[in-house]
Amino acid sequence: MIELPERTRRISASRLEEILREHDCASVVDPFMGVPTHLNYLKRHGMAVHGGDLVEWFVRAGEGIVVNDFTVLRDNEVAEIVEMLPGKIYALDLFKAWEGVFFTEEQCIYLGVWHDNVHNLRSDGQTGLAILGLWNVLCYWLQKVQYPDDMQDIAPSELAWNYIRKTEQWVATNLRRNTVRRADVLSTIGAQSADALFLAPPARNSFRSADARIWMWEAWWQGNPYFNIEHAYRDSLFGRRSADEQGYARAVAAVLSSAQEYPLVVLQTSEQRVRDFEPHMRNARANVEIRAPHPHEVYLIGTK
Amino acid sequence: MALAQGTGGSSSPESVALGEVLAFFGTVADFAVGSAPEEGDRIASLAAAMAQIAEISEEEKDALYFAARLRNIGGLGNPAFAKGEERSERDKMMAGWDVPVDGARISARIEALPQSTADIIRWQAECWDGTGYPDQLRWSGIPHTAQLLHLARMYARIGDPEEALSAITMESGRCFAPAYVRTFVMWFHTYGGEIEYVPPPYHCLRSERTSVREVLDCLSAQVDAHNATPGRAGRIAGRCAEIGACLGFDSEQLRQVTLASMLFGIGELRAQAQEASQFDPLGRLGIETRAQHAVDAAKLVAQCPYLAELAPVLRARAEWYDGTGAPEGLRHDAIARPAHALAVSIAFDALDESYRSRITEERALPIVRLETAAGTQFDPEMVRALADVVKARA
Repeated sequence: MIELPERTRRISASRLEEILREHDCASVVDPFMGVPTHLNYLKRHGMAVHGGDLVEWFVRAGEGIVVNDFTVLRDNEVAEIVEMLPGKIYALDLFKAWEGVFFTEEQCIYLGVWHDNVHNLRSDGQTGLAILGLWNVLCYWLQKVQYPDDMQDIAPSELAWNYIRKTEQWVATNLRRNTVRRADVLSTIGAQSADALFLAPPARNSFRSADARIWMWEAWWQGNPYFNIEHAYRDSLFGRRSADEQGYARAVAAVLSSAQEYPLVVLQTSEQRVRDFEPHMRNARANVEIRAPHPHEVYLIGTK
Repeated sequence: MALAQGTGGSSSPESVALGEVLAFFGTVADFAVGSAPEEGDRIASLAAAMAQIAEISEEEKDALYFAARLRNIGGLGNPAFAKGEERSERDKMMAGWDVPVDGARISARIEALPQSTADIIRWQAECWDGTGYPDQLRWSGIPHTAQLLHLARMYARIGDPEEALSAITMESGRCFAPAYVRTFVMWFHTYGGEIEYVPPPYHCLRSERTSVREVLDCLSAQVDAHNATPGRAGRIAGRCAEIGACLGFDSEQLRQVTLASMLFGIGELRAQAQEASQFDPLGRLGIETRAQHAVDAAKLVAQCPYLAELAPVLRARAEWYDGTGAPEGLRHDAIARPAHALAVSIAFDALDESYRSRITEERALPIVRLETAAGTQFDPEMVRALADVVKARA
């Protein structure tokens, strides 16, 4: 059975919005975007948002719910994603390597079908919505292995349909330009100007123990079940060069010093890791406020 | 029975009063968003019972109780429910996603509440699979108390116990964490789906941090926001207090008229915008509607022991001095003096607002129009006192 981390990072977009509004911010950049649901929330509340990440499917998902203002999927389009289309030839064994290890035979076949169908979608917005919706199916399947008697058996296409429909309800416009990019943290910070920079830096060496739900979906998107997500991070600022404590500290300092143009920097971490960041934040910013609504949700708020 | 014993601890009179008013705040919000009466009590009791099974700490249980009672306060003033410009169904749905956050922001200002109350309210609609709102948190990122509240809300909303059991088990791994669905199933089979009333844990409220008046001020401001009548309660309370001072109201009458001024708007929460504004506050047109609002407000305050004495005052604010009003046709001294003062102040405020906004430019000054209704709709003594107040302010 695959091990799924009990605790995943909690990013509360509504709490972040409160902090940003207190400082009269109308735009924000997040270079460690991850699954960009928090950027979608900020966008829906009128903020211009810009995200960046090295994992491609995060960026694609961002094209669905961050960049995309209007595009949704019609019923027939959802049907064309979730079902095997008659007359079309699929690589049904694309994810056979996962069969019996993580997924059943039927699930692996569906993963192959969906991979093909999603890659044939016509717009980036639709592709992003489908990727994010189908990721929820993957998560459901992996969780079901942990709770076989508690969770219902739901037909893959039905599950996929429901999750894609749920995902697309978040599509909204804020009449602003919103962007996502596949780039390292410093490139994203330098590429945009905004009122605020939001940082939720990965823990040291965390790329080596990435959540299976994250790396598997990148592997799915790439169509390669052996895909190793370490490749995405290896030469990045928070990749191998920051594997040791000093390297990690240098990376954090580099990020904060590159953010000097931003009037506000909000760094989210946990009580346990706040000491990794506080000295750097105090070096980089004249005023630093620490807000800790929860041990796993601590904000370092730095202003000029 | 253990579940009916509450969470223990003795409550000071101040914390009981505060607790009753907080519960009332929740009841008013439930009314505004169309929740069934008693639903707040049922949800709070079920959440508390499940928290007991899940062995959640006493402090968290207390927070969960108040979060359950106050779960809808963000609905007061939210565009999905409030009066205001017409919105599409989709816009309403999206605005509705903000109800938990708005509720969290309001409850965070009430410092007397247990610490995590605001966060439970904030994340009460999050789903374990990340498809909830507002933050789309997932898995262990959602506080377990917020999951229990979500579960209790679903159970209460569905109504039929067997149907609710089936719906909730279907949501295991989607809306709800499997562990909490198991907790629910355990509760269901132990108690046959019957929710036992749990006494409110008022002892946990830090009444030195928030006064009853502060909660009522907050409620009143939310009600005004909901009714699209910003600042109305404050203006009317001010005029009522001045009328009372002119006429020598005793302290109890002054207290009653002030509180009634702050609360009469709760009866209008479910009214449509046009329904509330289409009638001239003078004359018989719309008297049934005004009486219904008065009755609704009186029914709501009657549920709060701390405020129950205001019910007759609120109920009588649509009565006419000459006995031809509604709902009961009371006349002269059968109508409490605070109700007379409230009625004339409400009418003056409506006339004054429309006069100021030039809706009725061709008409006479509000106080002149009110004087024409003295002796029929309004107590002449009250109209004279109000005229003095208005002149003194001018």
